[in-house]
Amino acid sequence: MSDEHRESMFDYDSRPVTPQVVLVGRRASSLGYELRDFLSRNGVPYDWVEADEAERVRELLEGGDVDPSRLPICVLPDGRQLAAATVQDVANGLGMVAAPLLSEYDLTIVGAGPAGLAAAVYAASEGLRAVAIEAVAPGGQAGTTSMIENYLGFPQGISGNELATRATAQARRFGAEVLLARPLVDIVPEDAGYLARLSDGTEVRTRSVLAASGVDWRRLDVAGLDDLLGAGVYYGAGPSEAVSCRGCRVAIVGGGNSAGQAVVRFSRYASRVTLLVRGSTLSDSMSQYLVSKVSELENVDIRTGTEVVGLEADTRLRAAVLSSRDETELTRLPLESLFVCIGGVPRTRRLATAGLATDDAGYILTGADVTVSPDALNTWPLRRSPLPLETNRPGFFAAGDVRSGSIKRCSAAIGEGSMAVALVHRRLAELGAE
Amino acid sequence: MTTEEGPGGPTENAIAEFARLASDEQIEGAASALQRNGITSLVVDSGEQARDAVRTILPIGAEVFNNTSRTLEAIGIAEDIERSGLYQPLRPRLYQMDREMQAREMRQLAAAPDFVVGSAHAVTAGGSVLIASASGSQLGPLVSGAGHVILVIGGQKIVPDVATGLRRIAEYFFPLEDRRAREAYGVPSGVNNVLIINRAIAPGRVSAIVVRQSLGF
Repeated sequence: MSDEHRESMFDYDSRPVTPQVVLVGRRASSLGYELRDFLSRNGVPYDWVEADEAERVRELLEGGDVDPSRLPICVLPDGRQLAAATVQDVANGLGMVAAPLLSEYDLTIVGAGPAGLAAAVYAASEGLRAVAIEAVAPGGQAGTTSMIENYLGFPQGISGNELATRATAQARRFGAEVLLARPLVDIVPEDAGYLARLSDGTEVRTRSVLAASGVDWRRLDVAGLDDLLGAGVYYGAGPSEAVSCRGCRVAIVGGGNSAGQAVVRFSRYASRVTLLVRGSTLSDSMSQYLVSKVSELENVDIRTGTEVVGLEADTRLRAAVLSSRDETELTRLPLESLFVCIGGVPRTRRLATAGLATDDAGYILTGADVTVSPDALNTWPLRRSPLPLETNRPGFFAAGDVRSGSIKRCSAAIGEGSMAVALVHRRLAELGAE
Repeated sequence: MTTEEGPGGPTENAIAEFARLASDEQIEGAASALQRNGITSLVVDSGEQARDAVRTILPIGAEVFNNTSRTLEAIGIAEDIERSGLYQPLRPRLYQMDREMQAREMRQLAAAPDFVVGSAHAVTAGGSVLIASASGSQLGPLVSGAGHVILVIGGQKIVPDVATGLRRIAEYFFPLEDRRAREAYGVPSGVNNVLIINRAIAPGRVSAIVVRQSLGF
């Protein structure tokens, strides 16, 4: 049984009985982390074996010592071994990469987070030919949150992962396609619709598009941080890393709900969790229920007015150097893992070729915001005004975190994704009349 | 009935009594009795036919929990459920969930699947089904939690009565299962819970596929 899974009667009653993915690598490596994160977020069970567990590795790989350049190695359920495995290799090996079934769609959704999945469910349930393109895993940022307690209809809360799993199954049940691990490369206008090109050259023709690509974590500007990614420093809530943090000292950087959710999760595993908040109070940016919860946890320290200004490491992270508004001297915080959950940067790079107008921060303008922006309005070609959630390109909509002015909450994104489908219907009716 | 060292396998007498394939007459008789007790029964000649029968019963896309079972593993049903992509298997989903944060979701998912596919440890001539479990977590869904239950049962598990069925569990099944649990999980097993199904009330909810072949423990 995997070391990462606590022994219990329930565990061995529920673990898969058929062979599963085994990853051999070094935990403190960014490539290994990418694979763990990908499999974990896609709900694919796996066992992790440290490369220096010589006997286990020999038994598993039926060979001698492992050449470090071949790590990480992925052993697939059918026994095939992928050396120096990438996310794409593993996704292909597991048959997760499916080709689109149709030559044209009514709606192509870029991103399968809460907004994208909601749109997929509503579009497919109303008879539209819908496809969602997702580069990593369904659920988006919300999919990595430990427990969403204020989402309507779940009085005991629901984990982001479970919400995403259910929503993906629901979308597929209605006939929507969800294409995983096949990122969008670009998207361009074609005839009255659009043409999306995927990383493997696949082309998807569509009469309308919904940008629901969400946000990336904002980068933390600290010297040496990039060298430690996967080796103690992680962007996001790191659901795949929780078990390995048992008994460790962990710090979370950020003051929003994502950071709060990460604190709640890691407090269950780590000996001590320190929340580092640049602002002077948590309540400015975090839901009150999370502020209360985080404040009540006994193994959690909250340090407001504090920033990370340096990192100490050998082969992996050992400590963070902190600057606090209330102290003149820098302080050293010994720790094993640092999770950065700050702000967000709109994920629009792959949409650039569509010529979407954005605000100064890069979020996509829609509806009335297009109308009041002279630059955006100049590119709007129709006599009618853009519909709500419609960008400056007819039939190209945006919803969720990537949209300028959106409320950065899971339920708001789901609302927008659902609403977008009604607007897509109006656009399709317009196209039909042309 | 958990021991520190393990019982070291069933005795020769137990093997002689409980590993023997029942006669066609006994198998047909037990299947008819199951049917009278409200359990839809089907007799097939081989594990491959049993596998086909399960595929026929399970709807594409169904949420399925496959109980731990040497029978299911031996004839490829566990593989079909967990890896074919035809169904929504619950085991892989449960295994990758966060045991600290999602314990409630895990309990609820495992307790009430659309379909549970498992085996039994004894079936009596009178049509009672006996199933033992160390943790008991698999028994609730069989009794009422699961929407549908499919049991695949090797023909060596037919016994005359419930008392003999309980003896089969104690003297034959347990030593083998205990050895398996120690090897697979590093922990002993135990006959901590025993379910006896004498009659299924809901029509069509429980199906039993009895195989004219020795399968599992």
